[in-house]
Amino acid sequence: MGLLNIVKSSIMLSLYFYKNNKANFISMLIWPYLMLGLVVGLGFFIGDPNSFKRNVGLDVNPLTFFIASTIVAMSSIDVMWSIAGSIVFYRWVGVLEYIFLTPHRMSLTLILSGIPSYILNSTMFLLVLSPLLLLQEGLALGLLKLAVIYIALILGMLPLIGFAVIFASLTLITEEEENFLQWLNPLILLFSGAFYPVYLLPWWVRMISMVLPSTYTIELARLTALMGSPDFGRFTFLIGVLFGLTLIYNLFAAGIVGHSERLAMKKGVV
Amino acid sequence: MMKETIIVKDLKKIYTSYERIGFFKKKKTIIEALKGISFKISSGEVFGLLGPNGAGKTTTVKILSTLLLPDGGYASVMGYDVVKEASRVRKVIGVSLSVEKGFFWKLTGKENLKYFGMLYGLDGSKLNDRVEYLLELVGLKKLGVVDKLYEEYSLGMKARLSLARAMLLDPPVLILDEPTLGLDPPSARALRELLVKFAHEDKKTVLVTTHNMFEAEILCDRVAIIDLGRIIAIGTVEELRNKIGEKVSLAFHVSIPSSINVERLVEVIHVKTGYDLSFVSENGRFIIKALLEPKEVDQATPRILTELHSLKCRVNRVEVKTPSLEDVFIKLTGKKGF
Repeated sequence: MGLLNIVKSSIMLSLYFYKNNKANFISMLIWPYLMLGLVVGLGFFIGDPNSFKRNVGLDVNPLTFFIASTIVAMSSIDVMWSIAGSIVFYRWVGVLEYIFLTPHRMSLTLILSGIPSYILNSTMFLLVLSPLLLLQEGLALGLLKLAVIYIALILGMLPLIGFAVIFASLTLITEEEENFLQWLNPLILLFSGAFYPVYLLPWWVRMISMVLPSTYTIELARLTALMGSPDFGRFTFLIGVLFGLTLIYNLFAAGIVGHSERLAMKKGVV
Repeated sequence: MMKETIIVKDLKKIYTSYERIGFFKKKKTIIEALKGISFKISSGEVFGLLGPNGAGKTTTVKILSTLLLPDGGYASVMGYDVVKEASRVRKVIGVSLSVEKGFFWKLTGKENLKYFGMLYGLDGSKLNDRVEYLLELVGLKKLGVVDKLYEEYSLGMKARLSLARAMLLDPPVLILDEPTLGLDPPSARALRELLVKFAHEDKKTVLVTTHNMFEAEILCDRVAIIDLGRIIAIGTVEELRNKIGEKVSLAFHVSIPSSINVERLVEVIHVKTGYDLSFVSENGRFIIKALLEPKEVDQATPRILTELHSLKCRVNRVEVKTPSLEDVFIKLTGKKGF
């Protein structure tokens, strides 16, 4: 009973859901554009495209910046939902016990069954918005920028897994039926600078932003707008930060997850 | 020789719950769900855990399924400790915890089985063949519903699918919590026949929980009666019947006016006649029972009948039978009805 089977079964489950829930699938295709509309709308609320260029000090395309923000913001929500939110979903449907009956650790089962869904959904968000980006940037540069955003998505997922597992543990122990991710996710996005640039946020929010992995993922993806400028050099720095956070969050998660699994099994909440 | 596949020794479980009684105040409640139960089950045996709601049946099943940690005692399945070797235990058990849910509503029956089959380690043609075989075995193929969404399934179909999932890895041990709960009689019978086949022909161990006495009587090779976290009797149905001696069961099938409370009615007749009575409700009708020495029957029947008539109850039928498991249960637990 290999771990690979958990991944494969999760892909199978996602594909079955897409096939059997056509309305849901269509809404998934529309959703990124609605989110982009929100991000662009908030962007214009702060200033027009020219003020944006003045603020960043470069002649960059704000729409590319916003597309990247949207994809990363949506994917950050998705990784949290795919791992931490899945407990609520599985419990609500009544399959949680049967998923935990695989002969592996609960946390491992959760992570491995959450990752494929995250990758599939992120890829879909990227593909859905890619025509817009290609129209903006042209085919060659557009494809390159899509590739950079995709790298950011995958790298950004790594620390978020640890982050999501910590919240999954809390969800499991607290028997939350109304998942706190519903209010936590928008806060994470706000604090990560998905809607407003981080430097415009109050100082105490900026402190929180510094420890949120999504802050760096969003910045990394936004760098695609700066491709070709010297500021693009921050790319390697941000990758380094993300790897560091991956280590910290995942080690922390590994530390508490065993304890919370045991507590959940003792309380009988599975 | 039959091999002991499930061993439970002095198993204990305590739940702690907190009830909010103020903004900052919570009241702690401790519930002893299992107070040290012990039993052994062999391969080729259908073993029933019989008891009312809250007796500790589901707790026992969840511990044996490795989904719940006990607070004391020991339990093993196929020689594997359910606490220390949980992952090994999961490879040798098939579990059904509820027939009403446990599948994805927006997937068909076949898709659900394929998903769980793959999750549990099956692949490729082995997975497809096993799923097809099980859908046939539990009768879903014959009903023509394998490609219907689970949300469109009746309770009987859901129960069949749940059993099919428990059988995915062809495990030597099946642990089924109330597998026929809410099923119509033909579906329940079909399911019971399958379970008996698994145990007696395929030599699997089948542990079922139920509060249906009739089911326990016709399905189980041995039964443990559990009440308030304790096993109060264990043995074959015959052995359990012998626990109440040579008595016979006098049963009055009655229709009771809605204005009368059945518990109160039983009490009134007891006071007036001196006989210990119990009751069982069945689809809105009641059976009022008395366990008597055979020589008492002739005298007791008219006396109880008179009282029932005087209380405006319509007596549809009177039966004198050998005691059922239900009578044993009532006698041993001291309960008046359920």
